[in-house]
Amino acid sequence: MNITEKKINMNKTIILILALILLFILLPRFISGYYVRIFTAIFMYATIAQGFNLMSGYMGYLPFGNVMFFGIGAYVTAIFMGKGFSFVCALLLAALAAVLTSIILGFPVLRLRGHYFAIATIGMNGAIMSVVQNTTEITGGAMGTTLPIIPRAPGIVYNYFYLAMFTLMVVTTMVMYLVIHSKFGYAVRSIKANEEAANSMGINTTYTKITAWAITALFTSIAGALYGYWMSFIAPEEVFDVMISVNTIVMMLIGGAGTILGPIIGAFIIETVSEFAWSGFMEYHLAALGIATIIIVFFVPRGVIGSLGSMIRNKKMALPKKVGESNG
Amino acid sequence: MDNRVILDIQSVSKHFGALKAVDQVSFWVEQGEIVGLIGPNGAGKTTLTNIVTGDLKKTEGQVFFKGQNISHLQPFQIARIGLTRTYQIVKPLEGMTVEENVLVGSLFGRVDRKNDLNKGRKKTREIMELVGLDKKKDLLVSDITLPDLKRMEFARVLAMDPEVVFLDEVMAGLNPSEVEEASELIKRIREDKRLTIIYIEHIMKAVMGISDRIIVLHHGKKICEGSPKEVCDNPAVIEAYLGKRYAKEMINK
Amino acid sequence: MGLQFFINAILLGGLYALMGLGFSLQWGISGIINLAYGAMVVLGSYLSLVLFNTLRIDPFISLIFTGTILFFLGAFVYRFSLQPLLKGGIVFTLIITFAIRLIIENIILLVWSADYRTIRVGYAGSSIQAFNTFIPLTKFLTFIIAGILVYLTYLFMMNTKIGKGIQAVALDKEGALAVGVDDQRMYMINFAVGTALAGITGSLWASIYSFSPHVIGVIIAKVFIIAILGGLGNIWGAAAGGILLGFAETSGATLLGSQWQEAIGLVIMVMVLLFRPHGLIGRKFFG
Repeated sequence: MNITEKKINMNKTIILILALILLFILLPRFISGYYVRIFTAIFMYATIAQGFNLMSGYMGYLPFGNVMFFGIGAYVTAIFMGKGFSFVCALLLAALAAVLTSIILGFPVLRLRGHYFAIATIGMNGAIMSVVQNTTEITGGAMGTTLPIIPRAPGIVYNYFYLAMFTLMVVTTMVMYLVIHSKFGYAVRSIKANEEAANSMGINTTYTKITAWAITALFTSIAGALYGYWMSFIAPEEVFDVMISVNTIVMMLIGGAGTILGPIIGAFIIETVSEFAWSGFMEYHLAALGIATIIIVFFVPRGVIGSLGSMIRNKKMALPKKVGESNG
Repeated sequence: MDNRVILDIQSVSKHFGALKAVDQVSFWVEQGEIVGLIGPNGAGKTTLTNIVTGDLKKTEGQVFFKGQNISHLQPFQIARIGLTRTYQIVKPLEGMTVEENVLVGSLFGRVDRKNDLNKGRKKTREIMELVGLDKKKDLLVSDITLPDLKRMEFARVLAMDPEVVFLDEVMAGLNPSEVEEASELIKRIREDKRLTIIYIEHIMKAVMGISDRIIVLHHGKKICEGSPKEVCDNPAVIEAYLGKRYAKEMINK
Repeated sequence: MGLQFFINAILLGGLYALMGLGFSLQWGISGIINLAYGAMVVLGSYLSLVLFNTLRIDPFISLIFTGTILFFLGAFVYRFSLQPLLKGGIVFTLIITFAIRLIIENIILLVWSADYRTIRVGYAGSSIQAFNTFIPLTKFLTFIIAGILVYLTYLFMMNTKIGKGIQAVALDKEGALAVGVDDQRMYMINFAVGTALAGITGSLWASIYSFSPHVIGVIIAKVFIIAILGGLGNIWGAAAGGILLGFAETSGATLLGSQWQEAIGLVIMVMVLLFRPHGLIGRKFFG
């Protein structure tokens, strides 16, 4: 493919993406509040899944306890709004708290190998949740806490959060794209490929790992902050729930780990299946989710986007070369 | 060529409990030399290399690179100031292409920090042509042969713009004609790039033909140092490689 | 901190030792973090409950059945859902085992509902009285059986052909393969031993405490701590880890109040991970 053809393809893709964005922005006018809320949840999960995608899909470190940043985002926002801060101020403080946490905890914990790292993060999540549950004066304890309600009609409020989560998802995805295609992105991918070799090539793996985690902390915490404001009520077991991590990891897997769009596709698929399982199979919904997960992991191990990528690549390799055109 | 000492290893030891894998080894290397580092299996060659490159913590001793004490630096810091190595068992970046592997070297090695992707890609292409891998640049590392993997690792190291390269048993797994090719490549590149090479090797023929000077390790100690001919005639070396009986026979002849 | 405290702590620790052992073996030797472990323990409890309610079999006897059933369940799970996906790495095995937990949990909910259950054996109320302390009989029996089983596991690993095969692949996979050991078979059997121990733990748990699907999460949290404290795959390490957790929880409950009980265990685990990831006991195997 020559330069002109590549440019045309890229322009096509950009136009397509812009069209989709416009579509989604206008969508709330045409669908009921129920669907608006489902989409909002999808955008939120997609954002969190992007975080896992950066750490695990691209870098090879699975921070199973990443939900801790979601919880921190929600709680710090709640606490500061309770003191009279505006939502935006509280949100910025929440994001700051999350990023600082990831840096402080990151130093000791990112030294650990795969399994240990995953488990240590769950331990940290649990410990933070315990702290929140037991410092009742500040956080409201195990009973949960409230956030201010927006004095507008419910329909408008839902649309507001729909747009906010959508924007968050789009921004997160764009940032991921830029990160992965930058010099830093190569450092990230090299760590997954062969961490020892990465070190010997001049990559400061500690710095890379911590920075990557801080990026995921940033976006995950903003998702949590929005969630808290959206729901107007949060409880520790809910916003520090490991199931959020599990669900978003499965979304990443099914959409395709290590691809930019994978987490978004995965969020759409899983959330749809989940809603279907919940409303259709309520008594069996846990098992249905479990069985669906196993089937997905067995038959689409590289995820939807990943498999598409493989197929395209295989086709390219098999195509007969045009006269005069070389393959590299 | 300038005869500055570029690498100075002083009384380096590494103990694993009671086992002395490296025992008070000292030698220095002048810029532009090819120094062969030989010795039987388990002599401590790779352990010593790991210590110099920062992959392993020494028990005692110091290592100086261009006058700077690098004994306490991290591997990535040492790589960035120009001291690099290849691995006995190749460590390619899995899941990435040949070009990407070399590109990573060019982005993070001893090059201007303002290394951007364009400069890196340009440099990568140059190095790959030099080494003969340009036709295979888009292949995944899982799809290429061992000699090509070694070539790639060498290219990766060159892309880092190093001053000193430790080549750790690059010939392992190659057949005689491949060994010949690799030796030619190394000689050519040393000329082009004014590199200093520490050449760790098992295969005598390859080392003797290419090294300016040879250092022999045995049971972690340095037992001989000198020109290839001097080393070949040294009884301690013969004994280390071939055993006491053969050495006695040689001497008696 | 009198003798009674010590007794309470050690009785609890004994149960925990057995409980953590299965999980530690699965993680340390088979390389699988089994998120379904808690569900398997609880499943064991429910199986013993059924045998008790229908056939009046004492849980201390029915543990033989639960152990056997869970053994084969574990082998099945490993062979057909984990082994095929091993090359996917930790992400896949975590998700698969979590999915299996969901399935087991759902089955339990459907069959027995979320109500708390327990097994009340005839002698449940009695205790041994010695040196001014009360030693509840069921807890005492549990402790003895747990101890015996830990020791039997050790004997199995050290003295039987299969056990030695498992040790071989754990310590030197290449070497074991070279002498013809089927590594996947060893990992599978090891995994199955782990689930069997889980099931037996469940039976013992049922005789002392109440249980429900809710307990699944509680157990999983504890076995993580025990495995990490003792060093993955280390039998005596897991035993020590269990005892340590027993002491930590008992003192935590006494000193700080029961809400901090969970947090203490977690903090200890994170500390160990950060400063001594190989566990407090040190090397991976015996020594």
